[in-house]
Amino acid sequence: MVLRRSLPVLIALVSTLPLYAAETPIPESPTRWVTDTANFLSPETVQYLDRRLDGYQQDTGHQLIVYIAPTTGDAPIEDWAVRAFAKWKVGRKGIDDGLALFIMTQDHKMRIEVGYGLEAVVPDAIASRVIREVMAPRIRAGHPDDAVKAAIDTLTDVIGGVADALPPPRRPKPPMPWWARIFLGFIGLTFFSFFVSFIVSRIRHRPWLNPPSGSGGGGGRGAVTGAQDNSGGSYSGGSYSGGSDSGGFDGGGGESGGGGASGDW
Amino acid sequence: MGKNIAIGCAGAAVAFLLIVAVSIGGIYNSLVQLDQATEAQWAQVENAYERRADLVPNLVATVKGAANFEQSTMTAVTEARAKVGQVTPAAMADIAKDPAAFQRYQQAQQGLSSALSHLLVVVEKYPQLKATGNFRDLQAQLEGTENRIAVERQRFNKAAQAFNTRRSSFPAVLVVGFFGDKFATKPYFQAQSGSEKAPEVRF
Repeated sequence: MVLRRSLPVLIALVSTLPLYAAETPIPESPTRWVTDTANFLSPETVQYLDRRLDGYQQDTGHQLIVYIAPTTGDAPIEDWAVRAFAKWKVGRKGIDDGLALFIMTQDHKMRIEVGYGLEAVVPDAIASRVIREVMAPRIRAGHPDDAVKAAIDTLTDVIGGVADALPPPRRPKPPMPWWARIFLGFIGLTFFSFFVSFIVSRIRHRPWLNPPSGSGGGGGRGAVTGAQDNSGGSYSGGSYSGGSDSGGFDGGGGESGGGGASGDW
Repeated sequence: MGKNIAIGCAGAAVAFLLIVAVSIGGIYNSLVQLDQATEAQWAQVENAYERRADLVPNLVATVKGAANFEQSTMTAVTEARAKVGQVTPAAMADIAKDPAAFQRYQQAQQGLSSALSHLLVVVEKYPQLKATGNFRDLQAQLEGTENRIAVERQRFNKAAQAFNTRRSSFPAVLVVGFFGDKFATKPYFQAQSGSEKAPEVRF
């Protein structure tokens, strides 16, 4: 059983190593809507935009994030962006209505990465225009704050303020009541002890296998723990993350397929 | 006494068979799951390619508007587009059984990739065309689509790899034979010059 599970995992791990070892690592998911590790924007702008995007998410459900860093390393920004988007899970799960604006200050590159769900409202041509006509001229003119503000203005205008297809927030399943768990444990225990006593009665006469009478009880205890583990697993998956009201960014499970546009200045 | 031993042996044999049956069922189900994931990802790849093919007529029309645009380049793009249309999109299940079909599909798409990137290079000679908003939008769409193709191809390879790893590792490898070629090894997209170099198409 252990072999059956661990061997494929091991093989998978070993065989993927050469494939992915070369990829530039993606930083941990940001916790704010606007992250500027390159001091590209003024602190006031970062704060203003962060508040704005937080409000936007609360109104519409769409997650828009801005991520500014010095460089993507060896990776082209397109490749980096799609991997970061997937890792941070921008946008809600199933709707994929996230959008991320990446700016790499040392590389002089930027990219708008659009989640699957927003591809219809922000087609590549629009994303490209935002970069070419809204951002690049302002950055070249030395007004990075204006550039990002204007980009966010345009993008929120384009996407619109209407929350569409909002799924009802997922409520965690109520945990199983204590009596149900005890009941399940009893059933498991009963079946297990029947099984054990059946086996024991079959092999009892053999002198070399004369089991001490306590072994049935030991097995029974194992059965109870097993049943509890199972019920624990069945309801622990219900926790809901994404779209929390704590004010920070927390990915909701969105994905992008490489839609959007890139540009430089 | 002898009867008891016989019953015990029969019980053990039944229990053993039951365990074997259950674990084969588990292997089968997990293979089906990975197979379906590959299938879905294949559909995504086809979508991305389809999207590009749909862009071509518009692109050709726009470029044709430019005074005396190189005719040979235009013909190459149109022909490559026609070839792509001829390779009928097949379901992943068929392609897995027929590596040659996969090869043909890839080659046709590759042909269109190089024709398009050549077109974008030639456009450099026509600054007025390059400056029009219409062309720039088309170019952005084309770049985005090339990038989508690269992303979906990569995801397809990952899905195929997950499937192939599962099917060729122990103990699944012992039982895949029972199901004929239902669980045949999935082919991978090979890295070729052009298609996955979406950023290079830009200038």
